[in-house]
Amino acid sequence: MDLISGLLRRPAAASVLSLIGVLAFYVLFAGADIGKLAGAASWVNYAARIGIVALPVGLLMISGEIDISIGAMIPAGAMTTAIISGYYEMPIVFGMIGAIAIGLIVGTINGILAVRTNVPTLIITLATLVGMQGVVLAGSKLLTGTASVPLTAPEWAKTLFGDLMFGGSHQVLILWWAGLAVVFWFFLHQSRFGNWIYAMGGDKESARNAGIPVDRMTILLFILTATAASFVGMCNAIQFNSAQVSGGMNDIFNIIVSVVVGGVLLTGGFGSVTGVFVGALTFAIVNKGIDFTAIDRNWSNLIIGIMLLAAVAMNESFRNLAMRAAPSKRRKAKPEGPDGSIVVSSDSITSKK
Amino acid sequence: MKTTKFLAATAVLAMSATMALADGPNIFVIGGKPDDPFWSRVKLGAEHAGLVAEMHGGSVTWLGPQNYDNLGPDAAELIRQAIDQGADAIVGPDWVPEAMDPAFEAVVAAGIPLVIYNAGGIEAADRLGAMNYVGAVDYKSGEAAGIYLAEAGHTNGACVNTLPGAANIEAFCSGFNDGMAASGGTGSVLQLPATAFGDSTAVAQAVRAHLLQNPDITALFAIGDQDTNASISGIQQAGKTGSVHVCGMNFNDSILANIQAGTQDCAIDQQGYQQGFFATAILINNVQYGTTIPTREILTGPGIIDASNVELVIAGVQAGAR
Repeated sequence: MDLISGLLRRPAAASVLSLIGVLAFYVLFAGADIGKLAGAASWVNYAARIGIVALPVGLLMISGEIDISIGAMIPAGAMTTAIISGYYEMPIVFGMIGAIAIGLIVGTINGILAVRTNVPTLIITLATLVGMQGVVLAGSKLLTGTASVPLTAPEWAKTLFGDLMFGGSHQVLILWWAGLAVVFWFFLHQSRFGNWIYAMGGDKESARNAGIPVDRMTILLFILTATAASFVGMCNAIQFNSAQVSGGMNDIFNIIVSVVVGGVLLTGGFGSVTGVFVGALTFAIVNKGIDFTAIDRNWSNLIIGIMLLAAVAMNESFRNLAMRAAPSKRRKAKPEGPDGSIVVSSDSITSKK
Repeated sequence: MKTTKFLAATAVLAMSATMALADGPNIFVIGGKPDDPFWSRVKLGAEHAGLVAEMHGGSVTWLGPQNYDNLGPDAAELIRQAIDQGADAIVGPDWVPEAMDPAFEAVVAAGIPLVIYNAGGIEAADRLGAMNYVGAVDYKSGEAAGIYLAEAGHTNGACVNTLPGAANIEAFCSGFNDGMAASGGTGSVLQLPATAFGDSTAVAQAVRAHLLQNPDITALFAIGDQDTNASISGIQQAGKTGSVHVCGMNFNDSILANIQAGTQDCAIDQQGYQQGFFATAILINNVQYGTTIPTREILTGPGIIDASNVELVIAGVQAGAR
């Protein structure tokens, strides 16, 4: 019993339960065939696409900032790869370096603006979002004359970044997502950087006074989000042999929603990598699973909206449960932040200091 | 708990829907967003053909992307999803060949009958090993608009491209420019970011700015019915109503009203209902009875709707035939 209640109080608990709830709803009430759904690739592929970006975005949101320029960075990464290696026919390595470089550059700009100005990061990254949409369209038209560039990637690059696995429909991107999730889990939950991130999300000033390099961490997190997005774009270009200019507006909402479904607070200071991972999975099933049900497609957006609301409502009630129960009995010594937010979540108390 | 109430409400909603994937022919149709006016008509055509599938105990399932931001890869994923869902036959448009052809090849490799419709032409069907192509020839649709406007004396035209990169839209625009040129005019392309498609305000503002910057332009060609209405609004905001003439792809009630009112010169109709209906019907009969249609490349357009025949078309809409 103590084990169960302990599990329920973990930040990832609510997102796991929403996942189960969504699956149960589709299978029990909407006539989805669980075998076909489990075997199908569409939702796993989609989960990997948004999940890879959702991981760093989750960390950034735990630290109390947000990045919406990711929407433009996915097509930017794809177009950079396709223009360098497709249009100019340079080796694919240069295209890949270019895609990662553009992520590094935009991430650094976002990060420096975030620490040097008092402008909210929503506005800063809104500016870089719109700015990058312009750069990508104008750059593509200027260099290639079109807005869609074909790309033929060599076999090894396809195998590594953009192929279907085991002769089926699952993309290799899924492995990248799983691998990166493990890396991010260590980063947030097993290294001291993780505690820094929670502390920044609780109260930036106190974190700075405690000696945490808040500015450098913020810039690093923005670089991670932008680079993850351009990496996904690069893999997409290699997978689908082409890249096209697009706004990526939908990706922004989908990624941030999956982070929120994963139990991260929009105000920062609360969340976990496991939750974000499951959040992306849940959102992908909500989004793509509807095609496997008997529900008329005209209803799909309504169903998605209701299920997301239900998932977030569940998060909310479980978080309250965790807040009420956790500090009193077992975590007596851990202080709350000045505004009542918990600066240290139960997941983060693993560093041995 | 509140959560339970939400779930219960959705459950009631879902229970009213019928169960999918029965014994008869299960046809999967990949197309545009269901809330896109043109695609809703294609969907209706497919669903009406689906009545025959239901008669045999089968079904027709529509798979469309949520938006057109990532069109090629999203559609390719939907094709693979149809295979995973156990489709007996698949209908799909070849919008972005580089991204979608490998998925179509997987359909053919799995031995699933395939019909390409709406985009790609008979070349795509031949290349991919599909049974047939049902649709209009994009290039000819654009060309027809170019010739129509240039012959009416509006010889400097621009094609409003809100979906850069989609092969069929690029063909509309190059056809329009060639049609203009063939009748002694000149054509150009006004390129917008892909997010502009379906965003009437953004399209109207771009058209207005373009017309003010290029006062020589007297003709516009828009690639969809929403874009046509947005372009007309842009012309109005630029103060050029009556001096800049518009033709657009596709039509709906508001487009027909435009033609009646004289704010739009012509609409190029690819008859979307027919595309959904025939592509689906060919496959239902093929799965059920093994029949084929030896006529290759079933053309559903271009047809021109203008002031001379608009009344007839409106009668057709009321009769449910268009």
